[in-house]
Amino acid sequence: MRPWRLWAAARCLWARPAVGPARRPLSCGSPQLEELFSSGGPLRTFLERQAGSEAQLQVRRPELVTVAKRLSEKEQELRETEHLLHDKNEDLRKLAENEITLCQKEITQLKHQIILLLVPSEETDENDLILEVTAGVGGQEAMLFTSEIFEMYQQYAAFKRWNFETLEYFPSETGGLRHASASIGGSEAYKHMKFEGGVHRVQRVPKTEKQGRIHTSTMTVAILPQPTEINLVINPKDLRIDTKRASGAGGQHVNKTDSAVRIVHLPTGVVSECQQERSQLKNREMAMKKLRAKLYSMHLEEETSKRYNARKIQVGTKGRSEKIRTYNFPQNRVTDHRINKSLHDLETFMQGDYLLDELVQSLKDYADYESLVEIISQKV
Amino acid sequence: MELWGRMLWTLLSGPGRRGGTWGWAFSSWQPHSPLAGLSSATELVSHWTGVFEKRGIPEARESSECIVAHVLGAKTFQSLKPILRTQPLTPQQLKCIQELSSHRLQRMPLQYVLGEWDFRGLNLKMVPPVFIPRPETEELVEWVLEEVARRSHTVGVQGSPLILEVGCGSGAISLSLLSELPQSRVIAVDKEAAAISLTRENAQRLQLQDRIWIVPLDVTLEGSWTHLLPWGPVDLVISNPPYVFHQDMEQLAPEIRSYEDPEALDGGEEGMDVITHILTLAPQLLKDFGSIYLEVDPRHPELVSSWLQSHPDLYLHLVAVRRDFCGRPRFLHIQQSGP
Repeated sequence: MRPWRLWAAARCLWARPAVGPARRPLSCGSPQLEELFSSGGPLRTFLERQAGSEAQLQVRRPELVTVAKRLSEKEQELRETEHLLHDKNEDLRKLAENEITLCQKEITQLKHQIILLLVPSEETDENDLILEVTAGVGGQEAMLFTSEIFEMYQQYAAFKRWNFETLEYFPSETGGLRHASASIGGSEAYKHMKFEGGVHRVQRVPKTEKQGRIHTSTMTVAILPQPTEINLVINPKDLRIDTKRASGAGGQHVNKTDSAVRIVHLPTGVVSECQQERSQLKNREMAMKKLRAKLYSMHLEEETSKRYNARKIQVGTKGRSEKIRTYNFPQNRVTDHRINKSLHDLETFMQGDYLLDELVQSLKDYADYESLVEIISQKV
Repeated sequence: MELWGRMLWTLLSGPGRRGGTWGWAFSSWQPHSPLAGLSSATELVSHWTGVFEKRGIPEARESSECIVAHVLGAKTFQSLKPILRTQPLTPQQLKCIQELSSHRLQRMPLQYVLGEWDFRGLNLKMVPPVFIPRPETEELVEWVLEEVARRSHTVGVQGSPLILEVGCGSGAISLSLLSELPQSRVIAVDKEAAAISLTRENAQRLQLQDRIWIVPLDVTLEGSWTHLLPWGPVDLVISNPPYVFHQDMEQLAPEIRSYEDPEALDGGEEGMDVITHILTLAPQLLKDFGSIYLEVDPRHPELVSSWLQSHPDLYLHLVAVRRDFCGRPRFLHIQQSGP
């Protein structure tokens, strides 16, 4: 069965939230993940098998077994306490209600813990990243939209308290943006941003459109994890650094202000440029950052595409050509096609704060879910 | 229309180097000039690029982009927000661009035109005739930072060196070292009053004044170094001394020749005059096994090496030569071995 159908089914069945609003920060809050935990479901079977292997002294995940055990104990406790809700004594009923809330909270936490233990974290999750935006089809309108999306991520970085440093910026004549890139760094930046890569589509009446027709335009987002010093080692001999000072005596003999830098990685032919800063050294650092990210992505590509091959949510170049999201202005909604989730109030969404964060969280949940399904199906 | 176009051209391009005064151009500038509102940043950049090219000003596009970006509050045209590129400029902004461009037309270096420039991560005030730091010198600082980090890593010494800079100019080297080595202290000396006051001002702008002593001092004068003794022996001496060979001075671009202090450039017949003074005084001030880092002309590594061999009493050895980003041997690391 395709995972999304499983989820759709779960959505219908799972009408009543288990805990209430306090659930938000935990990733097991999403319905499809809850579905996996339902009794008799595949995850239960998987956890039981893990516990079974413990009995046979083949413990591979002792922590997981412990948490799973505590989960079933808590669930048992919850069922027993629920009987007290029908007690004649009002005080006892109130006590039971409190008890149930606490119990549910703990169950949610335990499930969250199980997900964390099962879903493998990626090597790059903690890394900084390079964001690249490029206008697609739709001319000036696509470039205007590209500039708005770039701004949205800049604000999202501020919302998440990450740092955001523009590395290059190529505007169009009419205030739009052809291409830009930025370095984003901070706690779990790549983990949050990695599912933003792909084709973003906008549907609206462009400012320049006289007859009020709705146009469809696109832009592309690429998210490249930045390697740490250890992740990627580049031999300085493999680099050619071009500047405008290459000829003549240099040093005190010259006073040129052009500080643009271009770095070529000779073995691969990958090129990276920067002319964002007045300081040549700064430009070189930024160009180098971008070059490293490009080379690292190439290095990761094979491995990543293998891992994500069967999934709806893609990362890396494979995901870059996929249409992932539509911003429909006439209907004031944004829809992510991978998880079929729509949010309303586009203006707020484009401000890059809590609404975008909500969608990012849903994508992470869904990716966790896909990852869990994969693990279970391997082991069962 | 054509007449108006020509008037506009005259007004915008201003008088050349020959004749005409700026008073005329400004006094005829009306705040409600019809020019205001007509020009966007992008249009102004191409206009001034054309003017500069026509007058043979080097780096015409870079200059006009930087001037327009500066007036609009950005450092480079690249980093200018898209909205600001297409918006009409205010009469004040147009006037400002006009004024700065007129300085550039006189071959004034762009850094003096803007009154500021960046060196590594720092924004520094630039005032003629104080020497404008070059990008090579960013690498000299980089080398020292690497060595300080390596030494504190291997020897376990705290990264709190006492550094002497000879010929601090705008303060670029000293202030970058201070900002990137939070435990360090610097003594910065220069013989020019303009350099002393500019270093002081830049230190204050960057709030680094508490760890720097700025001393007016001419290292070429006999016994001048004794004034530095009270600060105690230093861990390293760093300098970008004047190293241009005297006969090369005439060939320098007008930007350098007419605006920068020749004292900060002219190193004498073989460009060694100040270098040898630094090497002579350094042993009196350095701690044992202290280091000297110099930026020099590509012909100097050999000259310095043989000079040191003919002065064994200084106990100084050329231990490393590093190339700049263009591949020229540019930086020297000289170490004292102690008598």
